[in-house]
Amino acid sequence: MWHNVWAVIRREYLQRVRSKWFIGVTIAAPIIMIAMIVVPVYLASRGNQSDRDLLIVDGSDVLYERLVSDLEAGGYSVAEERWRVDVVTDLRQRASDGDIGGFLVLDQLTLETGEAVLYTNDRPSTVRRLTLRSAIARAALEYQLEVRGFDASAMLAVGELQIEMLVDEGSDTDDPQFFVAYLGTMFLYMVILIYAVSVMRATLEEKTSRIVEVIISSMKPWHLMLGKIVGVGAVSLTQIAVWMFMGVLGVGAGIPMLIAARPELASLENVLQVLPGLSLLLLFVGFFLFGFFMYSGLYAAVGAMCSTDEEAQQAQFPVMMVLIVPILFVTQAIQDPLAPLVTGLSLFPLFSPVLMWARVAGGGVPGWQIGLSFVLMGLTVFAVAWLAGRIYKVGILMAGKRPSLPELWRWVREA
Amino acid sequence: MSDSGFAVKLEGVTKRFGKHTAVSDFDFEVPRGVICGLLGPNGSGKTTTIRMIMGILHPDEGRVSLFGSDPDVTRRTKVGYLPEERGLYKKMKVLELLTFLAEIRGLRRSEGRRRASDWLERLGLTAWADKRAEDLSKGMQQKVQFIGTVLHEPELLILDEPFSGLDPINQDVLEGIVREYHAKGATILFSTHLMHQAERLCERVCMISNAKKVLDADLKELKIAERKGVVAVEFEGPDSWIYGPEVDHVEEVNGALHLILREGADHQMILARGVQSEARILRFDLVEPTLHEIFVRHAGAEAVGDAGMPPAANAGLA
Repeated sequence: MWHNVWAVIRREYLQRVRSKWFIGVTIAAPIIMIAMIVVPVYLASRGNQSDRDLLIVDGSDVLYERLVSDLEAGGYSVAEERWRVDVVTDLRQRASDGDIGGFLVLDQLTLETGEAVLYTNDRPSTVRRLTLRSAIARAALEYQLEVRGFDASAMLAVGELQIEMLVDEGSDTDDPQFFVAYLGTMFLYMVILIYAVSVMRATLEEKTSRIVEVIISSMKPWHLMLGKIVGVGAVSLTQIAVWMFMGVLGVGAGIPMLIAARPELASLENVLQVLPGLSLLLLFVGFFLFGFFMYSGLYAAVGAMCSTDEEAQQAQFPVMMVLIVPILFVTQAIQDPLAPLVTGLSLFPLFSPVLMWARVAGGGVPGWQIGLSFVLMGLTVFAVAWLAGRIYKVGILMAGKRPSLPELWRWVREA
Repeated sequence: MSDSGFAVKLEGVTKRFGKHTAVSDFDFEVPRGVICGLLGPNGSGKTTTIRMIMGILHPDEGRVSLFGSDPDVTRRTKVGYLPEERGLYKKMKVLELLTFLAEIRGLRRSEGRRRASDWLERLGLTAWADKRAEDLSKGMQQKVQFIGTVLHEPELLILDEPFSGLDPINQDVLEGIVREYHAKGATILFSTHLMHQAERLCERVCMISNAKKVLDADLKELKIAERKGVVAVEFEGPDSWIYGPEVDHVEEVNGALHLILREGADHQMILARGVQSEARILRFDLVEPTLHEIFVRHAGAEAVGDAGMPPAANAGLA
């Protein structure tokens, strides 16, 4: 009988992998992702040079040197204009003649309150305004602290907190940043949903096209369902593997090459530092697989009990809710992975794929909790397979109205 | 497993859907090697019966066996099934689809592919082998479906309304293939509401009406047995002699009048009346009744409804 299951897996896999849609998405998605990282950096590096030339008239005599490094890091090329009588009038004239884009005037008041005046032809963007304001305030603060004898630069670098671990937590050094954890969680949720829905659609298509009668006369419904799920699962793994491979290639080899070729893109180095490590990636695949097997079973049952797309749209809603609920807790799971509420929720098998991975990405989750969640998910996979298999068996050959909950329960009992 | 002379055997099979009884206490046998027609109007229980034979539905009462053994074991390799509602994977290429169907019936892929190519060639579809199923016309799709049914060379073919939706030319093509397949020794059970089709093709017929079996017999024997019932006459002159206590009613078929006799009536009496009358008798002929007439005789005209074809049209097509 495994011959049959294999035939179904093979058909499902090849039909999908060969489709234009699959090839397009598989190739386009990582390119879009990489473009989202590289393009802004590239644009920033090109900048609008003339616009960012900044003349500074320093009436305080102490602020200019302190500002230079901050402003240059912020993308400005600065030059100092000596203070003299009528300097402002003079520069205004030059600006309106178009010789310069604008200039910044600092004076004694700036030292006391952080206030300064920017004369410019173009209204500055919010980000630029913030950059300038914080650089000026910081320079003024630094000066004031130093006058009073404090180590201003250390304190302004937001100090330093050394971590001394009181327990040995092994060699786990994965410590990605919040946004990587968040993006990863959302991605995990999306691929589980997309592929579980694919299983539902495939089931529905077989049912509405009636080919299922021919197939069921040659094999057990349970084998057909198993073949479909494994086939779609194999497709999803293929896609994820291609994405990961392209990601590693793009980030590991592409970015250093890019930086070597265009030194002005050096800030792409930051991307390398926030990427998740190998163990986190493996856990990602693990959580995806278990999540997929749990939800694809449920979605297969939904597909089997419906007769039209519209019906399926409605019927899938409860299942989708179960998948969405943990999303509400993702932020907390990443920020405070050991909080009792998220710990408890993340051990609930249907929530585990999204929440447990988020917690792990957040850091500090004990290994036994990860292990336990996999054991519970494994048991749930079997429970779902049993339940869904029974609904599937009856539903796949049933025409007409969608069953009510009591009817569904009768299917499960009688199948 | 060859201990049974029957390819299909149903014993006391009953199937209910809620309060509606679709098939009631149905005993039915299809001997090996015959072409058997399952006849009856729409809604009489044909498809439900076939679905129970195929294990898609489970009877509430009674037992189904195939080749004298458990149907679940024999079904996959020995039975080819063409359901009433046809379906294909629309996006799949024809040859790949057929190879897949052969594969789930237990054939090796290479063998399945070879047989599928052969069949496509025989039915003139070679040019379509690499087209998607959805690009084929309905008639072509139906041929492809039929190929899918016979790829694994089953000993028993079960075809649910195989001729519906086909134009007359393709009906003939399919009929030819069914005959040819049967000549190799296969058993064929098909359902139809087209009596003339069954009449041409069947060796055995089983008629059901309102969930009950009304007739189950060898077609030749049945026709001989039923022959006494119909007299075809052609004559010139007055017609009063044809009406008498023997005659139930009169139908016109192809320009001749068919006198349908009452049970046990003797046609000689009518002939005697005719000779004495002023009519000039051109033809007085005991005819084989059409299957339709037999069906009406057994099930009653109201059971046929509008599903069976009227005898005249029937004869015209045949």
